Amino acid sequence: MLIKTQTVDGAAIKRAIEGRDGKMLSSFYNDDAVVRVIDRNNPPSKPREIRGRAAISTFWDDICSRAMIHKVDTTIAEGDSLAFTQACAYPDGTKVFCAAMLELKNGRISRQTVVQAWDE
Amino acid sequence: MRPIETRYARSGDVRIAYQVVGQGSFDLVFVPGFISNLDLQWEDEGYSRLLKRLSAFSRLILFDKRGTGLSDRVDPHRLPTLETRMDDVRAVMDATGSGRAAILGASEGAPMAMLFAATYPERTRALVLYGGYAHFHKWVMPPERLEAFIEAAGTSWGTGATLPNFAPGRVDDTHFTHWWARFERLSASPTAAAALARMNAGIDVRDMLGTINVPTYLIHRRNDARVDPDASRFLARKIPGARLVEISGRDHPIWTGDVDRVADLIEEFLTGEPAVADVERVLAALLVTRIYDTARLGDRLWSERSLRFQENWRTLVGRHGGRIAGTHGELMIARFDGPARAVRCAALLREAAQEIGVASAQGVHVGEVEMRGPPAGLTARVAMQLAAHAERGNILCSRLVAELAAGSGLHFIDAGRISLDELDEPLALVQVTAEQHLEPACRPKPKPAEPATLTARESEVVSLIADGKSNAAIAAELDLSEHTVKRHVANILLKLDLPSRAAAAAFSARHAGPDGP
Repeated sequence: MLIKTQTVDGAAIKRAIEGRDGKMLSSFYNDDAVVRVIDRNNPPSKPREIRGRAAISTFWDDICSRAMIHKVDTTIAEGDSLAFTQACAYPDGTKVFCAAMLELKNGRISRQTVVQAWDE
Repeated sequence: MRPIETRYARSGDVRIAYQVVGQGSFDLVFVPGFISNLDLQWEDEGYSRLLKRLSAFSRLILFDKRGTGLSDRVDPHRLPTLETRMDDVRAVMDATGSGRAAILGASEGAPMAMLFAATYPERTRALVLYGGYAHFHKWVMPPERLEAFIEAAGTSWGTGATLPNFAPGRVDDTHFTHWWARFERLSASPTAAAALARMNAGIDVRDMLGTINVPTYLIHRRNDARVDPDASRFLARKIPGARLVEISGRDHPIWTGDVDRVADLIEEFLTGEPAVADVERVLAALLVTRIYDTARLGDRLWSERSLRFQENWRTLVGRHGGRIAGTHGELMIARFDGPARAVRCAALLREAAQEIGVASAQGVHVGEVEMRGPPAGLTARVAMQLAAHAERGNILCSRLVAELAAGSGLHFIDAGRISLDELDEPLALVQVTAEQHLEPACRPKPKPAEPATLTARESEVVSLIADGKSNAAIAAELDLSEHTVKRHVANILLKLDLPSRAAAAAFSARHAGPDGP
């Protein structure tokens, strides 16, 4: 049976992130995808690695459960590479800014690196 | 980094103070025990260590329950129900935009956390209960002991008198005792504390345990002084799928005892990955201060003076930018960034000991040390042995300390060598001189070793060598093993810088004491 799946592109990612749709976001990844997060607690020499779709689903479920506003601003696509920036705000005013680089394989995300900075 | 911001969430007509720290991808709400104060907790080393660990992998949400800490006061005669207080958790989560969070309930916070998980399963990612219970009278205190506790709290609240009930392992730590007294005063008024205690005594959530339907993890210290570990064993049986880990320790508050162990367990459960072993090894100078004189002073005077000295020790270590690394009986261990600071601190500690009237002996060594946990490892063991070896009033350092302190203006004199079991080579030692002398212009010739640098036992061995006795004969005479005698002989030769037994015999003859031949 053919399952119709959403094409992974800048517009789809923007829609899913801004709509806090964790399920949709998780469906964009290959089963063996890796997400690397670099931030204050996870420095470049020891980034946090989230491996496999199950762990990535939990990651997005956690993030999407937060009542916050996400705005995906700039999306650049070139071949199998995709990049975007994302500005987020918590209800108490705390802001987070992320830049993400993605590599696609067979139309799904296989590798993603997120660099984020928080108000603190 | 800006100071941590305290904000207020509205829960009904009451304002609940909260703080958010950390940048993790999931939220962790910490429900504190009996009393709390958001500002004060950062001032305690153990508490801030725990919060830093937890906020390293989560977005940690902290709050003071209504009636406590920085939250609105409530009429102590009409305290809110457990349900109302639980709803404060929801209010704080709403204010922080947390749709779903892991809930960590410690001690009295555990029943609240359980009630939250049972009421709002869709908002509970997981439940972690530390030192928790479902029924107060059964596992914390029977009614008669509660009345005594409340009565005592009524007369001595704010003095830290409740500490032995919670953390008996810290009662001798005056710094912590003072902090605890402030913790009492700044967390609740005496009337509120008594009312809170009475209200907590009414806690019984046994009936709802079966309805908790989220991943649950229980941690309890095996000899917990406040809450019987059976309380968590009961929870483990009644909460579907709950897992219990019992760890060593007796101090009850989650921020006392081995905080890293607790943080490791929580991190592993919530992230699914073991905490990355925090192998923070740094190059540091360790100062070990030993005080003694119990026999001379008698127990009462000794305990007064040793407490006074410990207070001085904490102050002086802090003033020199050091960190308290721990105490081992009468050994006090402090860590410094540089050896000169450690030595300067040691010199002032020596003076403090003299003023107070206790004997001090100190050791300083430099090496890599673990940032985490109590002082252990080779550097710590060497520094402790130096302190054990130092004579009254002396500060004995490895020569490395003197070399690294070059240019600091500190002066050292050679103090021979010491053989330590764990080191292949004998360790070269120096001793800190009391004063910096002007002159002499030329370096004095190294003083010939004096028999005084030998221990009493070594002196005995030397004189027996001088009598021409073999190791076996000396061992028999002194009631030691031959191996021990061999070790003494090796130490003697090292200390006196002599090539052979014959030379030691000759030395002994030259340095015969007043009672000698």
